[in-house]
Amino acid sequence: MQFGIFTVGDVTTDPTTGRTPDDTERVRAMLTIAQHADQAGLDVFATGEHHNPPFVPSSPTTMLGYLAGTTKNIILSTATTLITTNDPVRLAEEYAMLQVISDGRMDLMMGRGNTGPVYPWFGQDIRQGIPLAIENYALLRRLWEEDVVDWQGKFRTPLQGFTSTPRPLDGVPPFVWHGSIRSPEIAEQAAYYGDGFLHNAIFWPLEHAAQMVKFYRERYEHYGHGQADQAIVGLGGQVFMSKNSQDAVKQFRPYFDDAPVYGHGPSLEDFMRDTPLTVGSPQQVIDRYGKFRDQVGHYQRQMFLMDHAGLPLKTVLEQIDILATEVVPVLRAEAESARPAHVPANPPSHAQRVAAAQAAGTVHEQVVAQDTYTGLRAEDSISS
Amino acid sequence: MMLGKGTSMSDRSIVVISAGLSQPSSTRLLADRLADAAVTELAARGITAQVEHVELRDVAHEVVNMTLSGFASGALKDVLEKVAAADGVIAVTPIFSASYSGLFKSFVDILDKDALVGRPVLVGATGGTGRHSLALEYALRPLFAYLRADVAGTAVFAATDDWADGGGDDVNPLPNRIRRAGRELAEMVADREPSAPVGLYDAVPSFEQLLGGA
Repeated sequence: MQFGIFTVGDVTTDPTTGRTPDDTERVRAMLTIAQHADQAGLDVFATGEHHNPPFVPSSPTTMLGYLAGTTKNIILSTATTLITTNDPVRLAEEYAMLQVISDGRMDLMMGRGNTGPVYPWFGQDIRQGIPLAIENYALLRRLWEEDVVDWQGKFRTPLQGFTSTPRPLDGVPPFVWHGSIRSPEIAEQAAYYGDGFLHNAIFWPLEHAAQMVKFYRERYEHYGHGQADQAIVGLGGQVFMSKNSQDAVKQFRPYFDDAPVYGHGPSLEDFMRDTPLTVGSPQQVIDRYGKFRDQVGHYQRQMFLMDHAGLPLKTVLEQIDILATEVVPVLRAEAESARPAHVPANPPSHAQRVAAAQAAGTVHEQVVAQDTYTGLRAEDSISS
Repeated sequence: MMLGKGTSMSDRSIVVISAGLSQPSSTRLLADRLADAAVTELAARGITAQVEHVELRDVAHEVVNMTLSGFASGALKDVLEKVAAADGVIAVTPIFSASYSGLFKSFVDILDKDALVGRPVLVGATGGTGRHSLALEYALRPLFAYLRADVAGTAVFAATDDWADGGGDDVNPLPNRIRRAGRELAEMVADREPSAPVGLYDAVPSFEQLLGGA
């Protein structure tokens, strides 16, 4: 089972000091956090994508490309990639490039985005969120799987004889997750393709996530990708830890009370009762998160939100250390010992996907780059 | 139409939403009378109605929390499910500053936008004097019309004087207005198929449908 962290990249004033980082400091903090998570032995780092302040991560593949070169083992991912407002052609190109650069040490998660004005800013209509997610992703897959694509749809200008480059690493596209909190249509989409489904339940009661995951699992089986319990599931989570649980509560409460998302609403205690937020000792986190598989079945990826609400970088790095050394080894061992043999331990790695594609005969041959209209090859244009 | 387990054509549920702030309140008193009138009229039509009372005061904190957090917590979750599954709704608010109370509107704001579509709704209000009575017509009725609810023609306002012996109005006293409103709600509820709770997963289009509609 994989454990990682995801970030929304918010620029938020630290309520205990009144200090606010600037955008540059926040971007650099995100890089440090990802590198630290890699060194600490966490499995995944995922960045959000936003196009409005106070969020800085507008260009995920630039960030993840740098991290591919400065980290060793951690899987680089997104939470989420906006499949509605990005051009699917650019997504195909950018994430294939990231896949090549990271040597397959990446995957990505599609999401629709819930910031209303982002849709019109990028020429779309939020009421078309689901149809955009369906059409754009269908095109994205074709661009990865087929060398030359003729395509016409409702939302994007048509393509004739288009080839997205670079072609996917080893002829096998990246693994894709779909994230949704409220829309079963997206769970249906993930199930149809046999992709992963991640429910980011951090602001929701887990029973809601459990229903959505159950639906996804049933549909995964319906579409013939395997048994329901073999579907690839991820959950979002949120923790703040200290050796002594009272200290954790005392330290985190001002950040909770002022947090942009839930601040000034429910009490910390109510929110901990109703959502996966756990503020306490590492053992409390182990006890709580170790029980999630009772509700959603054995799952493959648990992500944690750690760097938000104005928490200073130093604190975030300490939290990553506690998570990686005291919590994850226990949860991973528990999950592994409880896992039935036929259930995948992890989401498929690039190597596993290549092996599976070779076995199924679905590897897409790399073609020599050639312009189909002029007949010129890359080396021809260099010599001319 | 599918009926839930244990439900028959002669069973209906009425949810009574009362936004009174004191306990007991004249708002709850009016809500109870309206509910009794509706139940009596339904019984006369051979229909047994189960009545669920919701005092918004009891879930006031959860209402504010949901406004800020986006999800229902505690007892509010159950309340929203009951409203979603109701065959008829009786909604009663005190009139504050020329309109429904803020708590009442906050509750309406967290309902799913389709929660009351086509649903029989009887509205009522209370206030110090009859001079506030038209708030029912210019504030509550348009609110429920916006939600595409089926609002009973009679809306009942009870001023303090209405609780006097003569009902505050010798020609058309409060008990008469309550009876008429209860009858109207009962007729709408009786004419309608019983509500079946609709789950999030009951009508998800298949992927082929999603792709075809893209």
